Amino acid sequence: MRNFLNLMKNEQIKLFSRFATWSMFIIIAVIIIASGIITFIFDDFVTKDYGDNWRTELQEENADFEEMMEGEYMEGAYTGEIERNNYHLENDIKPSSYDGWQFTLDNAGLSMMISLFTIIIAAGMIASEFRWGTIKLLLIRPISRTKIMFSKYATVLLFALSMLIFLFVINLIVGAIFFGINGLNPTFVQSTMSGFQEVGIMKEIFTEYGLQMIKLVMMATFAFMISSLFRNSGMAIGLAIFLMFAGNMIVGVLSQYEWSKYILFANTDLSQYQADRHPMIEGMTMGFSVTILVIYYIIFLAVSWIAFTKRDVAGN
Amino acid sequence: MGIAMELRNVYKSIGKKEIIKDLSFDIKPGEVFGFLGPNGAGKTTTIRMMVGLMKITSGDILINGKSIAKDYKGAVKEVGAIVENPEMYPFMSGLKNLKHYARMMDGIDDERIEEVIKLVGLEKAIKEKAGRYSLGMRQRLGIAQALLHRPSVLILDEPTNGLDPAGIKEIRQYIRRLAEEENVAVIVSSHLLSEIELMCDRIGIIKNGELISIQSVNGQEEESAVTVSIEVEDKSASREILENDFDLKVAEEGRYLSIKLEKELIPTIIKKLAAQDINIFEVNVRRTSLEDKFFEVIGENTIA
Repeated sequence: MRNFLNLMKNEQIKLFSRFATWSMFIIIAVIIIASGIITFIFDDFVTKDYGDNWRTELQEENADFEEMMEGEYMEGAYTGEIERNNYHLENDIKPSSYDGWQFTLDNAGLSMMISLFTIIIAAGMIASEFRWGTIKLLLIRPISRTKIMFSKYATVLLFALSMLIFLFVINLIVGAIFFGINGLNPTFVQSTMSGFQEVGIMKEIFTEYGLQMIKLVMMATFAFMISSLFRNSGMAIGLAIFLMFAGNMIVGVLSQYEWSKYILFANTDLSQYQADRHPMIEGMTMGFSVTILVIYYIIFLAVSWIAFTKRDVAGN
Repeated sequence: MGIAMELRNVYKSIGKKEIIKDLSFDIKPGEVFGFLGPNGAGKTTTIRMMVGLMKITSGDILINGKSIAKDYKGAVKEVGAIVENPEMYPFMSGLKNLKHYARMMDGIDDERIEEVIKLVGLEKAIKEKAGRYSLGMRQRLGIAQALLHRPSVLILDEPTNGLDPAGIKEIRQYIRRLAEEENVAVIVSSHLLSEIELMCDRIGIIKNGELISIQSVNGQEEESAVTVSIEVEDKSASREILENDFDLKVAEEGRYLSIKLEKELIPTIIKKLAAQDINIFEVNVRRTSLEDKFFEVIGENTIA
């Protein structure tokens, strides 16, 4: 175990000795700060604060929405907003003002960036050692290749986790600076299974980020496998990112076939089982998707392991 | 005195091609063994098998009696190696590189790291990024990394590559010291005889994956027959004497006559020639058996 921790330490040092790794954190920070500024300056609608006479304000809003929906092609465009406002009015809940938590929730989509960065890191994890030639010095130590591989894989997961925490914390800080903070766990009105409901924002944030994490881990593991299999990071990055973006489309095209539900990408987005959504393919359940994900995950790791431990490290 | 490393009928095939054929030899502690052969002869493949980077198709390699195939960890613990070029993490300092490898092995403290750095003479540059090192400095760092855990077998693949003559001399002295003082078995590969001749006790010549011969560098056996070039004024007269009186085969090489003969005969023929009033300008003994053998091999090696 001491052994394994030393290996992890090595991988961390190698990872963070490179500017490229730091630049990923910098990019995330810059994007969030920019998004904070843009929301603060230009978006009056989301960041709207309601005064003491919020009831009349909401009614006026609804009237505006109705009016706008009379225009061509706009039918039903704002029904959701109107319903939400009505819920506030009926239950006498004052809409909370936009704050750091809301900002954090809105920016959960940025975990796409984290997926991208984690894929790049995962793809380089094994391939880079081959590219640098250092694999020859790494694999002649009295440590099994299995251990070395898993220390590398664990480093990828740790990187993803630290990025996610970083994203969360920076979001919260930037959000708090621009929009303030409404307490520790403010509630807000969200559409759920049984219509609109007042829910705690923490739970929403964790669900959002957690669901993103599943796709992230699957794609990072896939990139790691390609990296181990072909010992080439460019290929691993290319394939994983292409599949990440094209995955849903592939499933869409093939969805007429029964077997398409076994495709990884039909299952990576577990939010399809949330109350207001429909599964991608009829008849799929949460349990089914989790099973499929676990099977893919095991296959990815097994292939990585076989490719890494069983093959010769031959000449260039 | 045991055997530090033993190769037993080692074969390696990739696909249907046999790359290494029936390699068997052993290396004793305190011995410097040269592994000589032209590029593509299978030196690096053999070294990769010695350290477990490649699997052995059949046969076995034992390090201090432990099989690299069956007891990888036990066997490789005793080995320090550079395989091909000493590649380092370019974005880390030399010291960080060494610490990285130190963390992968037991019982290496900071003191030992300092000691090794001093040993290879990298004190000044050790805090610089390895990416800025010259090839010679990388070679030294590579040796430092191989020595960290005080291995009893040291494998250096082309260690003189990229070094200037002064650097080669330094490495040579250093390798000799390791072998003589610390009883380390050193395996040095090269494709140039001249570069390793002076540091090795024995040299194994490999060609097309087969071991052609093993020669002791200073052994007595090949001292008996030597090749001598003689520069004389009257070549035809000398030639006659040598051919008729001593029954030797004489070849003409430019200004020289080249003869293969027993070493003990040299004073006798010089006396004889001098007695015949032939002016001798130069007598040159070439310790050639190794060199000749090597050139024979080099000439014919084909990368099949």
